[in-house]
Amino acid sequence: MSFDLGLILASLPDIARGLGMTVLIWAVCAALGLALGFLVAVARRSGGRVVNWLLFVPVEVIRGTPFLVQVFLLYYGGPFIGLSLEAVPAGVLALSIYAAAYYSELWRAGFAAIPKGHLEAADCVGMSPVQTMTRIILPEMTTLILPAMVNMTILMLKETAILSIISVPELTLTVSALGTQNYAFVESFTVLALLYWALVELCGAAGRAAEARLAKYRFA
Amino acid sequence: MSWSLLLLLLEAARLTILLSVVSIGGIGFLLATVVCAAMLSKNRLARGAGRLFVSFFRGTPLLVQLLLIYYLLPAAGLDVPSEVAAIAGMSLCTAAYQAEIMRGGFAGVPAGLVEAAEMAGMSRFATFRRIRLPIAFKLTLPALINEWIMMLKSSSLVSVVGVVELTRMAQDLAASTYRPLELYAAAGAIYLAINVVVALLGRGLEARLSWGRA
Amino acid sequence: MTAPSVPAVAIKALVKDFGTARVLEGISFAAERGEVTCLIGPSGSGKSTVLRCTAFLEEATDGLIEIDGEPLGFGPGPGGRRVRLPAAQIRTVRKKIGMVFQQFNLWPHMTALGNVSEALTHVLRLPRREAEARAMAELERVGLAHRAAHYPSELSGGQQQRVAIARALALEPRILLFDEPTASLDPELTGEVLAVMRDLAETGITMLVVTHEIGFAASVAAKIVFLDHGRILVEGTPAQVFGKPRNPRIDRFLETYLDRGAATLL
Repeated sequence: MSFDLGLILASLPDIARGLGMTVLIWAVCAALGLALGFLVAVARRSGGRVVNWLLFVPVEVIRGTPFLVQVFLLYYGGPFIGLSLEAVPAGVLALSIYAAAYYSELWRAGFAAIPKGHLEAADCVGMSPVQTMTRIILPEMTTLILPAMVNMTILMLKETAILSIISVPELTLTVSALGTQNYAFVESFTVLALLYWALVELCGAAGRAAEARLAKYRFA
Repeated sequence: MSWSLLLLLLEAARLTILLSVVSIGGIGFLLATVVCAAMLSKNRLARGAGRLFVSFFRGTPLLVQLLLIYYLLPAAGLDVPSEVAAIAGMSLCTAAYQAEIMRGGFAGVPAGLVEAAEMAGMSRFATFRRIRLPIAFKLTLPALINEWIMMLKSSSLVSVVGVVELTRMAQDLAASTYRPLELYAAAGAIYLAINVVVALLGRGLEARLSWGRA
Repeated sequence: MTAPSVPAVAIKALVKDFGTARVLEGISFAAERGEVTCLIGPSGSGKSTVLRCTAFLEEATDGLIEIDGEPLGFGPGPGGRRVRLPAAQIRTVRKKIGMVFQQFNLWPHMTALGNVSEALTHVLRLPRREAEARAMAELERVGLAHRAAHYPSELSGGQQQRVAIARALALEPRILLFDEPTASLDPELTGEVLAVMRDLAETGITMLVVTHEIGFAASVAAKIVFLDHGRILVEGTPAQVFGKPRNPRIDRFLETYLDRGAATLL
């Protein structure tokens, strides 16, 4: 077994492009997923029983099936119901929806964790529902659900690798293509693993730093 | 969708279940206890090795791990069937997650309960077996069940290294019948059904472990 | 009696540091056999630390502790230095000590009976039936035989603490240590635990009690040790500590604990 570092160095621009794509997809999907997840959580919280149930089913279906199958369904099955998407938009859509299902559960857990008394107190001083949400619920919740949110977001970074299977030109696809073309599997997959590892550890450290800064706002 | 296609999917689902039981509940769980023990050990080297293991396998996508193992083993002169590479990859990955969950469980056992055991004259081993283990088990069970479900879903990725489990079968059939919509939906439904069963079993187990009604 | 009797607990020049903070600055006192000794003092005075050192849950930074005349953990060594004793010796001495914690620390996965019989079966290795019979007798003693099959989560705080007392009693310790046993209880549950402790005191078991229940201390204790900032401020009978003329520090302390039975002393 030999390790051809020269090949990796020569392909750095390609690797950087793949990495950029991965980070871009990740950021876009995390943002969309967070927002959509929030809407789902709010709708389930205040939309009545029917809405709650109508949203419960898709959330649980998405959380109960493999992401890869969801990607295949959208990318290969989509055209049969008039939804023909290129690989990148299909991947972004699938990952955003997947993430939204998980994020919505985290948002809901956050809502549930806020003591009723705090909401009653906000009501008593005359805050509107929107004010209560932005001034009380969200700030309080952030400290509570941040660790889980960070975890989920890191999980998503790893899920982006799956998009290589429908040939989204992200990091995994770029680097494994490098390996296949040059018959340098060991080099390429080792570098690939190290890159993800570094990214994940970096995010984990950033998340912990944020948690530490917010720790003083945590209530008992 | 015809019955014959569904039967083929169900047949492939058996492999998915088999792979999952062997790697998640079997090898992965056992490996996780070893890694967890290493992380909790007094030996610095063991602790460091355990943490490194957990960090790496939680820090990289399972897909990349599978590819790495699938291509690394032949390069190292080991020619193994793709099923073995798949089991190895899944076991290593889930072991890291389960080990971290277990470590958290032991850390969550209130120190006072261990002190009470100490005051009762219980040995370290007795304290572990009678107090720390049962309480840590109860604390970790929900997270472990969650991890088993996550990993069962992730088993779909071994299709990439050529194991014809549920996802790969759906893929092959979709390509040959040109009916991806039905086939992937059916595959998804089968995964969902398996996960519902796992979740229900888990909830039953949790209910049996509730000490008292509070 | 001709020879002076050996105290149940003798604490000699006990020093404890947590990091750079010195919480005990050389404390010495004795708890006599068959008596109740109460450690009182403001929060942060170090009284719980004394107790935890006496249980060997914390290792003192310096000083010696003797249980029934036998050194616990450390013994006197050459040149005035102390030496750590072998683990077997520590275990033997520790067997004489029972401990009741502020947070009860009942094992949640065992019933009340299981909590009390656990050490009997798994430490003393008694046959199950014998262990359970003995555990039942201890539960009877704290008035909870009828709750034997209940899990801690099904018991009130007061009941949990009474089970914890039974658990400590089951091993027949020579000395029972209580670390603020009623501090996490509602006022109406405090009474039942104090009543059990009063009954125990009458049976002549040696008790060393850290508490804020001034009324209890004044009426039950043979000796009161008042700690302040890691030092003993006053030590003596309740009459000596609470009687007049009184140290102004104790006056101030009593005023903050009016609701714990201190009012009658003022």
